[in-house]
Amino acid sequence: MPYLGGEETVRELRRALSNPHIQTDHLRYRNTIHRVIRLMSQGVDVSGLFSEMVKACATGDIVQKKLVYVFLCSYASVNPELSLLVINTLRKDCSDPNPMVRSLALRNMCNLRLPGLCEYVEQPLTAGLKDKAACVRRVAVLGWAKIHALLPNTEIDAAVVNELYGLLRDPDPVVMVNCLRALEEILEEEGGVAINKPIAHHLLNRLKECDVWGQSEVLSVLQRYRPRSEDELFDILSLLDPALLSHHVPIMAATLRLFLSLCSMLPAVCVSALERARGPLLAAAGSSSRELRYAALCHIQLLLRSEPGLMGEHYKRFYCGYAEPPYIKQSKIQVLVELVNDDNVAVVLDELKGYCTDVNTETSQAAINAIGSIGRSYDDRCLGILTGLLELKQEHITSAVLQTLRDLVWVSPQYGDAVCSALEKWEDQLQDTQGRGALLWLLGVYGDRLSGAPYILEDFIDGVRSEVSAEVKTELLTATLRVFLSRPAETQDMMGRLLQHCIEEELDMCVRDQALLYYRLLHCGIEDVRRVLQCGRRSDLSLGPLIGRPPEPISQWASIFNTLEPLMLGASSLNMLSFPCTRVWFLKTLCLFVVIFQAYVMCPVPRCSPESLQVALQLVNIQTLAFTAPNKLPWKISILFLSRNQKMFGQKCILRIKINQQPEHPHCCKTNTHILITPC
Amino acid sequence: MSVSAVFVLDLKGKVLICRNYKGDVDMAEIDHFLPLLMTEEEEGVTCPIMMHGNVHFLWIKHTNLYLVATTNKNSNASLVYAFLYKLVEVFTEYFTELEEESIQDNFVVVYELLDELMDFGFPQTTDSKILQEYITQEGAKLEVAKTKVPTTVTNAVSWRSEGIKYKKNEVFIDVIESINLLVNANGSVMSSDIVGTVKLKTMLSGMPELRLGLNDRALFALTGRDKGKTVSMEDVKFHQCVRLSRFESDRTISFIPPDGESELMSYRINTHVKPLIWIESVIEKFSHSRVEIMVKAKGQFKKQSVANNVEVRVPVPSDADSPKFKTSTGHAKYVPEKNLAVWTIKSFPGGKEFLMRASFGLPSVENDEMEGKPPITVNFEIPYFTVSGIQVRYMKIIEKSGYQALPWVRYITQSGDYQLRSNF
Repeated sequence: MPYLGGEETVRELRRALSNPHIQTDHLRYRNTIHRVIRLMSQGVDVSGLFSEMVKACATGDIVQKKLVYVFLCSYASVNPELSLLVINTLRKDCSDPNPMVRSLALRNMCNLRLPGLCEYVEQPLTAGLKDKAACVRRVAVLGWAKIHALLPNTEIDAAVVNELYGLLRDPDPVVMVNCLRALEEILEEEGGVAINKPIAHHLLNRLKECDVWGQSEVLSVLQRYRPRSEDELFDILSLLDPALLSHHVPIMAATLRLFLSLCSMLPAVCVSALERARGPLLAAAGSSSRELRYAALCHIQLLLRSEPGLMGEHYKRFYCGYAEPPYIKQSKIQVLVELVNDDNVAVVLDELKGYCTDVNTETSQAAINAIGSIGRSYDDRCLGILTGLLELKQEHITSAVLQTLRDLVWVSPQYGDAVCSALEKWEDQLQDTQGRGALLWLLGVYGDRLSGAPYILEDFIDGVRSEVSAEVKTELLTATLRVFLSRPAETQDMMGRLLQHCIEEELDMCVRDQALLYYRLLHCGIEDVRRVLQCGRRSDLSLGPLIGRPPEPISQWASIFNTLEPLMLGASSLNMLSFPCTRVWFLKTLCLFVVIFQAYVMCPVPRCSPESLQVALQLVNIQTLAFTAPNKLPWKISILFLSRNQKMFGQKCILRIKINQQPEHPHCCKTNTHILITPC
Repeated sequence: MSVSAVFVLDLKGKVLICRNYKGDVDMAEIDHFLPLLMTEEEEGVTCPIMMHGNVHFLWIKHTNLYLVATTNKNSNASLVYAFLYKLVEVFTEYFTELEEESIQDNFVVVYELLDELMDFGFPQTTDSKILQEYITQEGAKLEVAKTKVPTTVTNAVSWRSEGIKYKKNEVFIDVIESINLLVNANGSVMSSDIVGTVKLKTMLSGMPELRLGLNDRALFALTGRDKGKTVSMEDVKFHQCVRLSRFESDRTISFIPPDGESELMSYRINTHVKPLIWIESVIEKFSHSRVEIMVKAKGQFKKQSVANNVEVRVPVPSDADSPKFKTSTGHAKYVPEKNLAVWTIKSFPGGKEFLMRASFGLPSVENDEMEGKPPITVNFEIPYFTVSGIQVRYMKIIEKSGYQALPWVRYITQSGDYQLRSNF
């Protein structure tokens, strides 16, 4: 209704506001103003009433004043000329005997956000800094920050900056903290407030007087302070020590961050600070608000990157509750994986097994993934659980299990037999692209051991016309070729059909190029095919450090502790679950591609243009930047990897790959390959 | 922390009220909030932080409202959430219920509050007790609104103003402990803890000085002097009025209380308590025909105590029908909209054991959607009893005028997050 009758209502309100009868009747006047503000909140454009509202702010009634100010601040940018009229009233209010009125006027004067009015505002602000009432000083101090934000190019008068530094010693703690905030904004280009010894000590001494917000602010500013001597450092640390156990999570987190930055040179102190803060952190991870719980979990994940043993014995705190939202469950699962050790592995696996059947698909996939990554370093019970899950015949579970198995056997080839026996009786149909891709990969690699492999492949090849996903098709090509190597008799015919289809009828260029690549590779002779394709089946030990993460130094993440970033990292790792390739999978594909690429470029006959290979690499979001001429050693290639998945290596990264020797055997080719990853 | 703007949205994403604090983020960005949330919900990956361009949305949901803060800086996320929850707390104290209607009915007060709570993206006065002194809902009526500066804005004791008067001086102390419990399907306790709070309702004149004495056992645990026998309290929090330096030196909890209701302290005890109400359940599902449920509840607390309003909530399949119940006490009913069978027992004496049997029919055409395995949850309340054994020894009230005041103490133990996983 307000949307339709908007204009009519505005006209009616204007009449009412300028009606002298209403103006003299306090109650009716105020009610009319209420109606204006209500319409404004509902999204009706009432900016046309600006000049009428300007008159209404000359009143003794504070509530009415506040409402008019809200109106004026919302529409000032639309009516810059008329706003000049308000300034007079506001300036008059700035000298009102009532401090409430003074602070209100001062605050709204700055909130009008009109650069042209700044010259009128500066004088009352300067006066406000010296006001008797703390509430006026609070507003005046922040007012200068607002002026700076409006006119970023003009410098704030040095006298004002000095005055602000002086007000750091104001008796009112809020004024002090506001001063810090304002100076941080004003002096941003110079790196924020200059924290020297007297200021640092003054702030530390007054820390207790501030409220939670103030304390967090002061603690974060203090990070820039560098104590002169070790004695001073330890005095500060012992002064702050009780705050590490503070029951206010923000204060605890801010103190911990300060500890980490002050002691960046003393890793032992950092570790003991982390241990001290463990209790409050765990309490925060069990906080009643889910958002705060999530924030705490993300930060715990950060801590575990450096101190994997920190929470070991408290793993039970990270069990998921039934009603918890998926994002909390998923981060808890990720934490649980980190906390697994010899003693609790059985219990944790049991618990994770329960999550695998969660109603939320993402959560169940995260749990299955987690079991897979535990399987890399712990017993084969994981494999039992995973293969057991296949029997549930739930599509999304099966798909996740296959992907996990694929990643697992690549790192731990000793599980190959068990995976084969699980796949032996395979007869399901999968709809999910990623699951099908994983199934095909497993079939290709274990084609010689799985008696049914060619028949499953045949089903896929028969249905290739109706297959939409290019990813599945390229995977199918590779798998067929691999099975062909071990069982040529059963596969040759259908491989021919597949290659023919992909080369002659396929519309997707990447698939077609891949098929052409294999076709020409087959021309080079079976030995070359074997050399290129079968090296991908064995895991590469030199990649070990990339897969298993060594503990990072604390300084790696100390700067982002207690900010937004860990939460964004957490969020992107949630999205990672829906991203087709995991880290391991990516590296594996990459290696395969590079080997093909290199073998191909160096292959004497037939010469194929490297451009068609570049197209093939683009399939996995890889762009070739440069590579050395064929037949030169060492052979180098630079690749730009564009990732939708920030957690892996950052959004973009350049990989430089160097191959020192002509790959005589696939084995030595891998050991002579160096991969350097630089995020950009 | 620096928040650019705060929005209150309804469930359809319409802005009910907003406040632009910094002006460095376009207010129209909020239009992207709900579409983003919807896509995340569809993919099942909702997250309390979302990004659009370089704007971050940090949001919480309360009843039928979204409270959203926008920022384009790498600010302190947990502090922003804490502020949003503070908003909820302040609004709730003002309107008793924070929901769409109360925001619309009180938009004047909401604007005033948003103005005081934050300035230029930095939290200012957030204590609702102080705010209530100078922002009143009566302000909306015509009596000339209070224009006096409240003393508390500049006062040394920021949580209590001077000159409070009561005819009868009384303090009510509530010690409330809630038990969180998680039992897995084979009946072993996975985790249990006690969350306790001491709540005050003070109706005292002037500026009284209060001293609270708790029983030694709890205090020893706090000091860590006696680690062997006593339970260890973790995470003890006090209201800002408690003098922590006094507490650290001689373990007395001394304070000038805020007027009216407040939470003096809270604590957590992480220990294996014997589950006060133990549930054994057998749920047998004969697919296509019926479900048989047998639940046995046992009160594992002192015989003298009685648990009130015990509610055992047993999950049933969503397609169940024709419920039949048989109980040894209390009554049971089927709540189809929540897929629960709820068994209520008005009073449950300690040491007793009760039984409920239920059977449901299942349709012959099976629901192929996967259902989770919700746990059995139990609600109860046991008055005059605390699990941890904490007790109030004394409460001394000293005021300059020397009046006599009466302290009243009440103990309650109740269920918190009390879950027993079922095996059906």
